[in-house]
Amino acid sequence: MRSPREKRPAGQKQYYRRKKVCKFCVERIDSINYKDVKLLSQFVPERAKIMPRRISGVCSPHQRLLSDAIKKARNIALLPFATE
Amino acid sequence: MRNYEIMFIVNPNAVEDEIDKINAQLEAVITSGGGQIQKIEKMGKRRLAYEVDRLREGYYVLFATAANGDIVKECERRLRVMDAVIKYITVRVDDDVRRLEKIRKYRQKRAARRGSGAAASASGQSIEEAMQ
Ligand SMILES: [Zn+2]
Repeated sequence: MRSPREKRPAGQKQYYRRKKVCKFCVERIDSINYKDVKLLSQFVPERAKIMPRRISGVCSPHQRLLSDAIKKARNIALLPFATE
Repeated sequence: MRNYEIMFIVNPNAVEDEIDKINAQLEAVITSGGGQIQKIEKMGKRRLAYEVDRLREGYYVLFATAANGDIVKECERRLRVMDAVIKYITVRVDDDVRRLEKIRKYRQKRAARRGSGAAASASGQSIEEAMQ
């Protein structure tokens, strides 16, 4: 079955728009470790704020694991706290 | 018994001997309390993400243990009073198991949704529903 979006002739552009997918689901990463600074820092850009889901495409269960891990990493000075 | 990780940062000016002494103390607390040491990893010096006690780098040590709450509390108390230790964190590692199950279910649900024709209307599923 096709979704309404695919049927719409003018919807070509939308159809080709890259769909955001959860990196952790795609790569089958099931646990996110607070010690994995290299991975975590991909989700704390410039001002060290946690990247929101709507931008990163991370699904909600993974976002929760991710933000828990980031908070732990910050706690032990592996990652910076957000600067104002 | 549960699995815990204890990570702490020692003043980078501490000599190897001091670090070994700290590790031996913690090890004694854990084993005398009936816990097990799975790993002691001297991760070494690394730059701190922010200043701690006016220090820019620290010596990281990681303990992986099977222990109970009392043992962990005693380890934390010891770490707090050691002058050379500038920061510590204890993390329970086995409640991951429960969360992994949630993710597996969420993934299955999503896959099922994608497979059915109702994809468009089901996309608004709440986070709470997915997390149950
Ligand atoms: Zn995901």
